[in-house]
Amino acid sequence: MRLFRSRAAIPYLLMAPGLLWLLLFFIVPNVQMLVFSLSEGTLRTGFTTPPDVWDVENYTGSISKFSGNFSNSIVYGGLATILCFLIGYPLAYAIAFKGGRWKNLLLFMVIAPFFTSFLIRTISWKIILGNDGPVLAVVRDFLHLVPANFSIIGSPLAVVGGLTYQFLPFMVLPLYVSIEKVDRRLIEAAQDLYAGPWRRGGMIAGAIFGAFALVALQVGLGYGAFIGEDAAPAAVAAAALVGAIGGGLVGAFLISQSFIRVTFPLSLPGVFAASILTFIPAIGDYVNPQLLGSPKTQMVGNVIQGRFLDQNDYPIAAALAFLLMAGILLAIFLYAKLLGTEELTGGTA
Amino acid sequence: MTDLDQRLRALPLTRRVFLQGSSMAGVAAFLAACGGGSTPSPTGQASVTPSEGATAEPTEAVIEGPLNFANWPAYMDLNADETAWPTIDDFEATHGIEVNYVEEIEANEDFYATIAPQLGAGLDSGWDLIVLTDYMAARVVRAGWTEEISAEGTPTAHANVRDELRGLDWDPDMKFHFPWQSGATGVGYNVVSTGRDLTKVEDLFDPAFKGKATMLSGYSDTFSLVGLMLKAKGEIEHVPAEMTFEEAQVVHDYIKPYVDDGHIRAFTGNEYLQDFGSGDTWVAFVWSGDLASSGGPDDRFVFPEEGSIIWTDNMLIPKGAQHKAAAEAMIDFVYDVENAARLALYIYYISPVKGVGDEIAKTDPELGDNPLLFPPAEIAAKMYPQPALSDEEDVKWADLSADLEGA
Repeated sequence: MRLFRSRAAIPYLLMAPGLLWLLLFFIVPNVQMLVFSLSEGTLRTGFTTPPDVWDVENYTGSISKFSGNFSNSIVYGGLATILCFLIGYPLAYAIAFKGGRWKNLLLFMVIAPFFTSFLIRTISWKIILGNDGPVLAVVRDFLHLVPANFSIIGSPLAVVGGLTYQFLPFMVLPLYVSIEKVDRRLIEAAQDLYAGPWRRGGMIAGAIFGAFALVALQVGLGYGAFIGEDAAPAAVAAAALVGAIGGGLVGAFLISQSFIRVTFPLSLPGVFAASILTFIPAIGDYVNPQLLGSPKTQMVGNVIQGRFLDQNDYPIAAALAFLLMAGILLAIFLYAKLLGTEELTGGTA
Repeated sequence: MTDLDQRLRALPLTRRVFLQGSSMAGVAAFLAACGGGSTPSPTGQASVTPSEGATAEPTEAVIEGPLNFANWPAYMDLNADETAWPTIDDFEATHGIEVNYVEEIEANEDFYATIAPQLGAGLDSGWDLIVLTDYMAARVVRAGWTEEISAEGTPTAHANVRDELRGLDWDPDMKFHFPWQSGATGVGYNVVSTGRDLTKVEDLFDPAFKGKATMLSGYSDTFSLVGLMLKAKGEIEHVPAEMTFEEAQVVHDYIKPYVDDGHIRAFTGNEYLQDFGSGDTWVAFVWSGDLASSGGPDDRFVFPEEGSIIWTDNMLIPKGAQHKAAAEAMIDFVYDVENAARLALYIYYISPVKGVGDEIAKTDPELGDNPLLFPPAEIAAKMYPQPALSDEEDVKWADLSADLEGA
């Protein structure tokens, strides 16, 4: 009997360190932040905290005052996630299916940038995209496509590019794991059942997806807005056309029916995990907009950082942090509903 | 161009190249300085003056290191190959303690935020000596967050501080602060990129510089300079120190469209040095000495026609500092005329030490005319102090500048 009892306690013992960690470093700080978010005052003028005051205005006021920063966060975070997916899925697929004996080396190369400091990597982008950098040397000095005072630094493109670069490994690794798990015999079976190239269907699906992705990118980045022109309908149409042709070609010639019917559905849990892991840090990032952006491209993270560290306005900062957290949870919830919960937990895989 | 300008520019590696490389520059220089700590610098200026010896002796027994010294970038003289700070090396050699000199402060507000929680809670901030601009120094002193600087430990400083810097209302008897350097805020530009000489604040808004202009973060400098410009145009009435909140709103409304259309790319702290180095910035609000000491050969500073902003950065010993005696020794050390002259010659700011002008004139008569070190009367007449606001006003103004900065 005693033995049985102690056995029953084992799982709790195993969980204890983690739970204690969560209590100390997640629950307690969050409760404190919640208190701050309903308080008034700044570090210098002193705080009035609940129960003396319940300042809900911190929340309602922040939403309208910083709506621009919220939409920047959602748009840039979302675009970075889409770009990471477009770059990361083929990469993960190639490593998993065609990597052969180079698999480990290739995976190592995906995470190799992590061995350098986050800050140094972002500052390198500042140099690459900067006035003296190689990108402008080609585009401006060699091809003469842009005027002399054209700057990539400060544009949404630089911010989204930085985010995409920083969080690509978060996309590739979960995708790799789930693609790697796909049973090859199922693909063979599909081929035996006449799953061939996905010609017409692929062309249509690819064209639709490609057009959508490029229009999203074009509108999201406000392409051209920085050099003084607003996004024109003609530019959007051009983006849609280019995206449709590109997507159509890829769909028609590179994607097989076995991929669309077997491999991709089986990798969906990985897609879910990967996009969540990319989207959450991307939406909350403040280093990329700070170093690569302009005042127009600041995200919610910058406001939180500025309110906490420059203005010592803890109540607004805490309220914004909670709003961001709530927004992310809501987004994940909707996303999970969309993809279906069983797939996410790997129930059907 | 003065002799010293040319001499500095003839150096094999400019400070600018060093800075723009990466943010590791500071760390590298810091490591180099630590490594070189035991060896006296080879600059030949390592002579110890009698007054220092005299001050060092009675206190030497109690001075303990390391001295944790937080300062702004481009605020300490470097040797020819930019691997060591001669002044720091000399101090280490004189007092036999190590100095942990870190270029940690890029903006007053940012640094304040890193020390305020500890100081507010009565804890040691980890720094023994910090350097903050007038309004922020006053705020920290008024909050009671500074150690009293003992007069016995700092006789040279008490004797040599310039008279016009004494008797400030927030610390009339130099009990809590000593000025580090004074300087001006004006317009900096790269003459090759802009293609012409700039003379006014208004030049920053020239459409040709779209996307290549930056301003300073916070309201103290940016709102003051644009305020002076609008005053010259007759749109507002008061000089920066007397500007009302309504006038600050006018200044905000003037700048806002330029931020919205991308004309002003960023609001920066001292990192404008890197942006000038890479050519990402052509014109900016900058602090007077930086481009001369750490910029490229084509980077210029101009005192704008509308007027410039004068300020003083002050050394403070934060409450609870572990090595207070060492901090006092450092304050006294940089108030020695020879040391102060060497510092001023490199960093191009206005020295708070009496007799530095004569000392510099001895070695290099021409530099006595450098407007950065010794602003001539017609420029000095148009130098205005920054706004000094109450805590409540500060919150409102900070909101205005935060709105411009997009966060």
